[in-house]
Amino acid sequence: MSNIQLKAPLTINWAINNNCNFACSHCYSREDTHDDLSRDVLLACLEKVAKAGVFSINFGGGEPLLRSDLLEISAFSSSLGLKVSMNSNGWFIDENMAVSLKKAGFTKVGISIDSHIPEVHDKFRGVPGSHARALAALMHLKAAGINTSISTVICRINSETIDELVAMALAAGVSQLNFHNFKCSGLGMSNKDELDLTPDEWKVFYKDAIAAKHSVKDLDISLDDPIIALLDARDAGTLVKGSVCGKLSLNIKANGDMTPCGFIPIVIGNIVSDDLQQVWKDSDILDRMRNKQPTGKCSGCSKYEDCLGGCTARALALTGDMNNPDPHCWGSETKGE
Amino acid sequence: MPKIMHNPDVLWRRETEVTDPVSDDETVAGILFSGGSMLSLNEFALEIWQICDGKTLEELVVSLMPEFDIDEETLRLDIREFLDSLSQKGFIRYE
Repeated sequence: MSNIQLKAPLTINWAINNNCNFACSHCYSREDTHDDLSRDVLLACLEKVAKAGVFSINFGGGEPLLRSDLLEISAFSSSLGLKVSMNSNGWFIDENMAVSLKKAGFTKVGISIDSHIPEVHDKFRGVPGSHARALAALMHLKAAGINTSISTVICRINSETIDELVAMALAAGVSQLNFHNFKCSGLGMSNKDELDLTPDEWKVFYKDAIAAKHSVKDLDISLDDPIIALLDARDAGTLVKGSVCGKLSLNIKANGDMTPCGFIPIVIGNIVSDDLQQVWKDSDILDRMRNKQPTGKCSGCSKYEDCLGGCTARALALTGDMNNPDPHCWGSETKGE
Repeated sequence: MPKIMHNPDVLWRRETEVTDPVSDDETVAGILFSGGSMLSLNEFALEIWQICDGKTLEELVVSLMPEFDIDEETLRLDIREFLDSLSQKGFIRYE
């Protein structure tokens, strides 16, 4: 599977706006000042995406619910046969909005929650009361029949609270708890010294998270970090080796710029003016991401075949070279772990 | 004999154009995707996927037999092997 060159992404993560009512300490898009695409242009782009064969769109932002035309955009996407989901902070999702989202075709909504402790989450997100609103949103979404998940970016405020986060997710009745690795993009780069873990701390976190994943029933604990290959913990069903970015998924920014993922600031085209399949097929950057070459300690690592150097975005952000080893990697030169 | 039913949650697409030259067994002609699982299909498997919904194994054998220069039992085994892989991944069910 790892060598298949698909004709188009399976999934597009689409940041349809940059504005947000929150002020998160790790925000990757806060500094993006480009204009959002207009409704008409966006709908035309969605048609292009569906025609290219993309299966699903995951809307993000900013906070996507700050786009007044989000429901229309979703309904249109759904009518094209696209499977529609969204990541939101949950602030604007009350009972009525949850029902509207369901009617507009949303099959899944992920709510970002960074801590089981309301005060910690609220401070991190910069908005008092946001934890309570996030949990309420999950309740309304579930009642409306929308599949829900919690997304948590792992960092210093939550890395030692796996059990508590799992308990919160179970109490909220979500189907999935996503533990996202910390990226050094946007404010995540500015605040990395305060928020990021050391490689050895990542190792401890992932060992504990994998143990929880195996022991907790009725909840899918998702770990999207390629470096867990060092712990022989990549799911058997993992679709590709290394990162999925540029192999299965692509990112589109609010102004239509296409990037390999939301955390790699290299523009490879624009969905308004370029052909998606052509960019997907011909981009030199995507080609490099699909054919990474081991450097440094990766060169002698027995886990490289599965891990492919870990998260490309992190390697690029912190070392300037996407082929360099993921700075989060705790592995030794020859034995992986 | 049970009928084969597509899992309605499965998304699929052709990766090659139908007008492309006939591919070999290794060429990925299409993919199935559902809930984090993906299966790549060669032309033979893709054809089975496209026609299997609502049919029995025997109906598939009868339908495909004229297209292949192999004996019926070999074809039946090949189709069953593919259907087993679909069933294991939850892409089809029998009813």
